[in-house]
Amino acid sequence: MDCELFRDDMMDVLYGEETPVAAHRFRAHEAECAGCREEAAAFRAMRRELQVWDAPAPPRVLARPPARRRFAVPLAAAAALLVGLLGALAAGGSDVTFAGGRFSLRLGRDAELRMLLAEQEMRHRREVAALRADLARTRLPAATVAGPAATVDETALLATVRALIRESERRQSVALGASLRDLEDRSEARRQYDLARVSAGLSYLDGKAGLEAARTSELMGQVLRASQQK
Amino acid sequence: MRSDEELVEAFQSGDESAFETLVRRWDRKIHGVVYRVVGSDEEARDLSQEAFFKAYRGLAGFKKEARFSSWLYQIALNVCRDRLRRLRHRSHVSLDEMDDSADPRLQTRGPTALDLVENRERARVVAAAMAELPPEQREVIILKEYQGLTFPEIAEVTGVPISTVKTRMYRGLGQLRLRLERQGVRGNAAAAVPAP
Repeated sequence: MDCELFRDDMMDVLYGEETPVAAHRFRAHEAECAGCREEAAAFRAMRRELQVWDAPAPPRVLARPPARRRFAVPLAAAAALLVGLLGALAAGGSDVTFAGGRFSLRLGRDAELRMLLAEQEMRHRREVAALRADLARTRLPAATVAGPAATVDETALLATVRALIRESERRQSVALGASLRDLEDRSEARRQYDLARVSAGLSYLDGKAGLEAARTSELMGQVLRASQQK
Repeated sequence: MRSDEELVEAFQSGDESAFETLVRRWDRKIHGVVYRVVGSDEEARDLSQEAFFKAYRGLAGFKKEARFSSWLYQIALNVCRDRLRRLRHRSHVSLDEMDDSADPRLQTRGPTALDLVENRERARVVAAAMAELPPEQREVIILKEYQGLTFPEIAEVTGVPISTVKTRMYRGLGQLRLRLERQGVRGNAAAAVPAP
């Protein structure tokens, strides 16, 4: 059964883009192939998990297109630049004053910064107040954790917290198990490799020793024959 | 409401406000795809602007052989690819990037704070798994799952045959499944997204 032939159909069915022919073809294969049936079900379940990943909203759109180029008289451009500079300085909280026949300039963005900080402070205060209100609604009595004084909401909250802890522990356990299995596999592979190298080394030494022994025997044989001939 | 093609024609006839309308219409979607491809909100803001700037510069010569949306997605993806090549590919989204201090949902009634923290953790796991995919698989999954493009539209955006899109989709989903299961995350089969 070549499941590769049905991959495209699986994708079409998964995303609702199948033709009736493709749907019938895949359903028939799915009915016979446990692997594809299980995989398609896993993909369907996983798609919901993928949706928890939200994208943050973009900043407010400033869609004014870049100004087209224009030819400008240099003097007018310089004047526009000067006006723009002064305006920017003023907008940035700077002061340009003329006193005693002289211009003086004080640069600063204090006011803007103070405003931004104040807005941030207000936002943080609102968030903290909301969290405090949330905690106050779910606060447990000091005497017991899950005794008779606990309300239905508090009991449900405890059950939720315990379920979350169990789920977290399960995930950690699965991840740890996978890591340990991976480590075990790698250790075993390393051990086999080292054993193979040692074995190859010993074989080489055996072979070498054997060759030398054979060479020695041959030489001894030649020496004996020579001595016998004398 | 004018269609994208009508707005393009208006822009090419000299109506610059038509471009502004296009930007407002597509800003959120382009920001979303860029954010998910590069994994950073801050970079997504820069790159989205860059994509729209390139679209503005090229719109006068847009020949309408493809859909405007496909052309815009192509520009956005190319901008992302260029940036990732320069950054040598970011391998994960840090928790700092997923700062929820300004999340308005924390300030309103509805899901409890515990639910939101739980969802945040799951989102982080998904984002990290997506970041580890090969770029071509990640792009296809993002365009399909989060932008809702059809397979033919994705083929038009990415410039590859439809069968290649489906192959990348299948392999990408397989890789995601392995990574998520290794993190102990299994989809809720009871609430699985049914095929429409």
